Amino acid sequence: MPRVVPLREARPQAGPAAGPRLRLDPSVCDGVGICSHLAPDVIGVDSWGYPIVHAEPLTDKRDVRQAEAAVKACPRKALHLL
Amino acid sequence: MNHLHLAHPHADVPATTPLAAGAVRMLDGSAVLPLHDAEQLTGVTVHDLAAHRALFGPRRSYLGHAADTLLADMDAVELSGRGGGHFPTAAKWRSVARAGAGGTVVANAAEGEPAIAKDAVLLLTRPHLVLDGLAAAVEVLGAREGVVWLHDGAWASARSVTRALEERRHAGELDPPIRIMLAPARYLSGEATGIIRTLEGGPTLPRWVADPARPWSAGERPVLVNNAETLARAALLGHVGAAAYAPTSLLTVVSDTYRVVVEAGPDETFGQVLARSWRSPDGQAPVAALLGGYGGSWVRWEHLAPLPVSNPALKPFGLSVGAGLLGPLPQRVCGLEESGRILRYLAGQSAKQCGPCVFGLPAVADLVDRLVEGRLGRRDKHTLDTYVREISGRGACRHPDGALRMLSTALTVFADDVARHKHGRSCDAPLHSVLPIPADPEEA
Repeated sequence: MPRVVPLREARPQAGPAAGPRLRLDPSVCDGVGICSHLAPDVIGVDSWGYPIVHAEPLTDKRDVRQAEAAVKACPRKALHLL
Repeated sequence: MNHLHLAHPHADVPATTPLAAGAVRMLDGSAVLPLHDAEQLTGVTVHDLAAHRALFGPRRSYLGHAADTLLADMDAVELSGRGGGHFPTAAKWRSVARAGAGGTVVANAAEGEPAIAKDAVLLLTRPHLVLDGLAAAVEVLGAREGVVWLHDGAWASARSVTRALEERRHAGELDPPIRIMLAPARYLSGEATGIIRTLEGGPTLPRWVADPARPWSAGERPVLVNNAETLARAALLGHVGAAAYAPTSLLTVVSDTYRVVVEAGPDETFGQVLARSWRSPDGQAPVAALLGGYGGSWVRWEHLAPLPVSNPALKPFGLSVGAGLLGPLPQRVCGLEESGRILRYLAGQSAKQCGPCVFGLPAVADLVDRLVEGRLGRRDKHTLDTYVREISGRGACRHPDGALRMLSTALTVFADDVARHKHGRSCDAPLHSVLPIPADPEEA
């Protein structure tokens, strides 16, 4: 059976002063997988080992730190905090 | 995905809308052409430059205030992108105009959909309407050039455009520079971000855009990509004005050995269009039809037949004319197997960039094969649902989403076929397939 790592429950909707969004360019991502280890709370993994990134803005400071680490570590530069 | 709200076949079916008296259409008939090429085309008169100018007069210049009139007319008739997306054309032009002058306008006629031939019909019979529209867009946006984007192998279209450009030069027409570009003959060669990427010197492959609201101006030089039919419509609108413009759609209706490109208006239902353009192999109405394109929606025929051919009328039902495919499925062809073939083809046409598309679509196609063979267990069914959920919305382009839309509508519309296959009984339906799938050059 495929391994599916579920994402955490959706957080309450952010207000106008929302945090940054983590965005993935799937066309350059090779599914290396470092990101989901560094940011397990914001990046899930699909059945083929590719990261699943949610579109909602990140509000939790710890989530933002995890996302920043993942962006920095991605060898394909596929992750962006926008 | 929630596409169909057609629980009751005849509930709240919108009425057809009569066209204004004297409304001007694009074609003077329906074009009949073979399934796999557009070389031999009958049924529509070819308009050379003399015939075109006799009908519409000289090309209008849009270097001044005429641009505002044209954009207002586009708003008035709600002109939308006929490559399939139906994005409002005037909004797209304004957005690209804001990005600055000096860019490129592309008349996209790559027509990667294997069954669809409307853009080929326009380039072969109304090349000057497309070129007038392309020239108009270049002038309105202050672009420096126009490009006619064809797929490699579309020689008849390339010859027709070349001849038309020569006619215009000979006649001393003042056009902006226009050139032809040939894209690889693949399903995704007409994807707008891939065209922009090519113009910037990259490969003809879709590109992820950080701002999905503005995919058409990703580069330093703004690029407007419009479907060829959209530009022809803009030209027609400029020539006759909003009041005399016929808000029609070009549908490609697929029969067993040929296709018919029909210009259908909101004054007609899909049932009426089929009656005048489709040859039923058994004299009966079809079971269902694939609407829009191979990434479109299957709709039961009794639901689609009474609806008018009009995107605004289809929208409440979660349907769209898309790129104009009307692919009827005869009674004796298995819809599940047909959909499995199309899904396998679409999986093979992935640009091979995004993991969920590269690995996900073939995995889904394998599970559908199991379903066809009556070997899909309960855990497989769960896996199929998981895969569909995981792939949706995760490509750089919408290719995987379209493939899954086709599949999900098929599983609903062909529930009877699915049940027959599931119980291991052989499906008594399949005679042959109907919708054309190009041969894979790598397998040949």
